[in-house]
Amino acid sequence: MVNIKVNGKEYKKDVEPRMLLVSFLRDELGLTGTHIGCDTTNCGACTVLMDGKTVKSCTVLAVQANNHEITTIESNDPDLNAVKDSYVEEEGLQCGFCTPGMIMQSYYLIKNAEGDIDEDYIKKNLRGNLCRCTGYRTIIDSVKKAEEKLRQREEINVSK
Amino acid sequence: MYSGKKAFLVNGRGRYIDDINLLDMLYMSIYRSPYARARLKNIDGGLNSHELRAYYKAAVGEMADLSGGREDLKLYREPVLAIDYVNYVGQPIAAVFGKNKYDSEDKLSEVNVDFEPMQAVSSIDESLKSDPVHNGASSNILASYTLGTKFDEKDIDYDISLEDEFFNERILGNSIETRGCIADYRDGFLTFYASTQSVHSIKNGLASTLGLDRDKIRVIQADTGGAFGSKGGYYPEYLIAAYASMKYKKPVKWIETRSEYLMAAYAGRGVKSWAKIYAKNNGKITGIQVKLYVDAGAYDAGTGSFAPYFIGYQITGPYLIKNVYVEASSVITNKSPMGPYRGAGRPEASFIMERMIDLLADRIGKDPADVRLINASDVPFTSPTGLQVMDASRPFLEKALKTMNYYEISKNEKTGLSFFVLIPSTRPGESARIVSGDGHIKVYLGGDTHGQGHEAWARNIIKEYLNVDESLVTLENGDTKELDEGVGAWGSRSAIVGGSALVNACKKIREQVKSKFGEYAPDKLLNNHFDAEDFFSADFSLNSLNANMITARVLNHSVDITGWYCYYDLGNVLDMGNVIGQIQGGALEGIGQVLSEGIKYSDDGQLITNSISLAGLLKADDIPDKFHIHIAENPSDVPSHAKGLGESPTIGTPSALARAIELNTGRRVRITPIGPDYL
Repeated sequence: MVNIKVNGKEYKKDVEPRMLLVSFLRDELGLTGTHIGCDTTNCGACTVLMDGKTVKSCTVLAVQANNHEITTIESNDPDLNAVKDSYVEEEGLQCGFCTPGMIMQSYYLIKNAEGDIDEDYIKKNLRGNLCRCTGYRTIIDSVKKAEEKLRQREEINVSK
Repeated sequence: MYSGKKAFLVNGRGRYIDDINLLDMLYMSIYRSPYARARLKNIDGGLNSHELRAYYKAAVGEMADLSGGREDLKLYREPVLAIDYVNYVGQPIAAVFGKNKYDSEDKLSEVNVDFEPMQAVSSIDESLKSDPVHNGASSNILASYTLGTKFDEKDIDYDISLEDEFFNERILGNSIETRGCIADYRDGFLTFYASTQSVHSIKNGLASTLGLDRDKIRVIQADTGGAFGSKGGYYPEYLIAAYASMKYKKPVKWIETRSEYLMAAYAGRGVKSWAKIYAKNNGKITGIQVKLYVDAGAYDAGTGSFAPYFIGYQITGPYLIKNVYVEASSVITNKSPMGPYRGAGRPEASFIMERMIDLLADRIGKDPADVRLINASDVPFTSPTGLQVMDASRPFLEKALKTMNYYEISKNEKTGLSFFVLIPSTRPGESARIVSGDGHIKVYLGGDTHGQGHEAWARNIIKEYLNVDESLVTLENGDTKELDEGVGAWGSRSAIVGGSALVNACKKIREQVKSKFGEYAPDKLLNNHFDAEDFFSADFSLNSLNANMITARVLNHSVDITGWYCYYDLGNVLDMGNVIGQIQGGALEGIGQVLSEGIKYSDDGQLITNSISLAGLLKADDIPDKFHIHIAENPSDVPSHAKGLGESPTIGTPSALARAIELNTGRRVRITPIGPDYL
């Protein structure tokens, strides 16, 4: 029996010890937004947040997520939604298959930046996520736009 | 810009093939050959060729027509499940079925195969000198063509001759979504869901291999997570899933792993060539001879028998060369069968020609741009191999050089150029359908969008011709029930033939509204049910001139691309955001071909590049510092006035980048990918 909080909701399920977190999300919870691109931690399509840090859910067992908190692309977190909007506005997606993982990683790299979120920082932090359609240019622009949006949101929150 | 489907996809609400689950569904796993070549002494367990003995052919569109009827190619047909022999790592031998993915993978242990390994043929060179891989064949030559006219160098006018050899390693599409399907056979009717570029290819394949009536098959496209050519055709796994659904009377789902994709999806490129050019001292080329070999893989399943012809046909690109002779063959190797990869013959042809022009420029000490200009033409012309170049290439190149600021930039930076003709796969045409009602318009296209953004231009056409706001228009996924006649999305064709069919359908539906209400008004269309379909037939040549320029530095054994430039003639831009996305994405694939991408095998035919990372896909920090995108719009004669785009960046980038790199290193680039050893 595992107890995993996903997007704010707790789920208690019996799972096989070998079940991957990505299978738990997709097959047990029906959260199919998290995609499987390679099953081998190479492509990043399955990236989710575990306790606020990105993990590739094809390389985490569901039992390893027991008593942890997972955030997926289906989350309605306002900051995450701002990243999603930026991807739409900057055309940071074409076929959309790498996109959920890419967005989760973008959200993480913005939220956890210690220095400037410049082009180099963005590129280096997207190295673990492959995209075959866009050539990354519009993805990097989407992250820049998302960073602006999140900064503005923060400023509004502070001034409140 | 209207967000459309993108707003769904960013929320994880796409419905890709693995997101679709039917009640009481079985999962299929495939037992694949671990050997490049072996005799199967015994096969036991699973669904195997003792029960399902069938052959198939996956070639698509024009490519199928060229060689489809040749009796002699039967020797090289791929069995759906291996019979007696396996000929590549990953070849399907048996299928097993479980209640979920984990269960079906467990069941792979129930299959027992007794292999007798054999010496594999793992390269073009070996293929040419080895005994035939296939019993009954007289050699390993799958297909052989000569193009142009054979000439004796004594008879032609030239001052210098130069020769060189080239090799482009195999590349796979490596869409981030792998292949997959669901077959659901019940009550004598097969509903088949797939991640695909063409529901029609699959329907045709199922109908011909299963022996079902066409009206008993419906193929529905799931949201498709990229393809790049690798999902255009019909694969053996589709037939196995359909057969199993009929047998077990349950839906059957097949989703492959990435390692299966790398082994068994059909790879493109894989061309080795020798070229010799004859030229005057002023740079005018008077003759070219080319001998080229394509690595067709183990069977005539994909494009292996067509590719050598297609490369030879377009070898001279935009250049007017009097004497041309090409010997082009494809050869059997113990690798996965060859299929199209974005460009599909076009980049291979251009690489040979453009690299030879640069070699000539160096030899005679002239600017490579000027050598290209002197060999271009002031009028449209037909090449000795039959390529009809529709526009005058010299004025176009002059404009391109000026627009990209070549002469200025090349003074200070290591600058490579390429100049090419894009030949889109327009034949035999394409279909479109518009359905209105309930305040909404649904659009169906015969070619299935799989990430290229057809939705954006379809909306723009509806807006332009029917004055309907884009938010009221959706582009539906492919579905043979809704649009049964159609071809597919590949070969830079969709905006040309799909766009034209849609323009024609707009005109038809407009007339329907007029004849019912006396006049056309968008609300009359939207609030009533109208339905119009068009098949735009294309039995003519249409192509376009395009140029690329790349500046690069080589520092610390790595290549820094400082500028990627293009001047592409798109005829009529249907959606600029879409165009930019296609260009930047294609550019990175072209760069990948030169720097790192390749599907590689060991001498004994084992797949070395068995992860998506080892296959050399580029990452976010590999992109050019800056894109300089310049577009010409010289309209074509078709109703959409479009010309092709999708493959242009993969054609122009490799040769321009190869040049920019060799100007840095002083060492000629003949092979893609150049690999770490070169640097």
